[in-house]
Amino acid sequence: MSVKETASNWEPKILVFACNWCTYAGADLAGLSRLQYPPNIRILRVPCSGRVNPQFVLRAFQRGVDGVLVAGCHPGDCHYVTGNYFTRRRYLLMQRLLEYVGLDPERFQARWISGSEGPKFQEVVTKLTEDIKALGPNRKLRDAQ
Amino acid sequence: MKEITLQMQELARELLQKGEVNVVLGWEKGTFWYLSPPAFIDKPEDVERLVFDDYCHHNLSKYLMDYRYQDGKVAVFLKGCDSRAFNILLEDNQLEREKYVLIGIPCPGMKDQEKAKELGINGDIPLAKKCQDCKYPNPLVYDYFLGDKEAADEAAATREAKAIDYSDVEQIEKMTPDEKYDFWSSQYERCIRCYACRNVCPACNCRECIFDQSRTGWIGKANNTSENQFFALTRAMHVAGRCIECGECERACPMNIPIMLLNKKLIKDINQLFGEYDAGVKVDGVLPLGHFDKNDPEEFM
Repeated sequence: MSVKETASNWEPKILVFACNWCTYAGADLAGLSRLQYPPNIRILRVPCSGRVNPQFVLRAFQRGVDGVLVAGCHPGDCHYVTGNYFTRRRYLLMQRLLEYVGLDPERFQARWISGSEGPKFQEVVTKLTEDIKALGPNRKLRDAQ
Repeated sequence: MKEITLQMQELARELLQKGEVNVVLGWEKGTFWYLSPPAFIDKPEDVERLVFDDYCHHNLSKYLMDYRYQDGKVAVFLKGCDSRAFNILLEDNQLEREKYVLIGIPCPGMKDQEKAKELGINGDIPLAKKCQDCKYPNPLVYDYFLGDKEAADEAAATREAKAIDYSDVEQIEKMTPDEKYDFWSSQYERCIRCYACRNVCPACNCRECIFDQSRTGWIGKANNTSENQFFALTRAMHVAGRCIECGECERACPMNIPIMLLNKKLIKDINQLFGEYDAGVKVDGVLPLGHFDKNDPEEFM
């Protein structure tokens, strides 16, 4: 049964692409350490942040997500040695392109979060949720369905 | 230009008569005086059809893709931007250099077809927008060169030093997010997804384009702004770092969507973030999104 979404009970939906080797472990550590963070995020585990295709991000916005975070290992720490360097180039560009077509820059973020950075994961997710809550629901790039 | 046309015809006749090439790709006069569509000449007696005038906009390099699997050589006339397109196709391993006879033509810049239609044959027709910004009017790769090479090089040197005008991109950058979104929605509302922009683009040379793969479902069949924007942004990201600014996408667009504004934005950012780069100038396998530098700007800490 679904609860009808109204302006008063709206909660942001945030999609987090988490790299298997760092950010996913970081999120796990945040959980194990009982660090509190908003339940608005949905974590999608990917083998490497380099796996995240720009189309994934666009499709997420199309299907009603209010914010997207791409997170992976710090440069130099990639399990596949160079994956995140490519991610960096790709999303430096993509971020500017999305801003250029009118998406609020807060809605699409990329961060490096290592396996030992549970508190950083908590901090990033909390900040992102607060920013997106302030912006309200995303209507841009969204499919009508 | 008359002279170049004559030289073109002469060279084409020679190549066809000797049997060095099977077909010559050039331009011919179209239905109207401001149209010069591509011509495919395979008989020496047809070379009279070839022409080089102010409206030879078509980028002929993309047509070479149709001759990839055929035996024999193909000759093609290349302007500056066409030669960059040829380099991109070489870089993407789509073409073999030996199979093509390249005939370079220094390009004085093509004239705006839309303005020509309005102003008439005696009007003072301005250069097309893409040609005003052109940095490489001379072909960068060729086997034969038509016209005066030295004079052409001199004219090109001043062009290369000129900074590209990004004022149109900057104007959009200055808008608020909502204004930007309204602007782009109003543009892509009109898109009929005919994929003409993709079909003419030399950087769009995948064996199977993602927009043709119906089973993966990347793009829906519904014609709505969201799907259109998905197409627009995906296309822009796919050609990022390989766009040679030939402006063919915008010319081919039947709905007059300013597609080059997206491409130019990406080019501007690539130049700013990863250092000055002009696609299709060198064939060295180093593409902005295909390699990286450890000292790239860091914003994701």
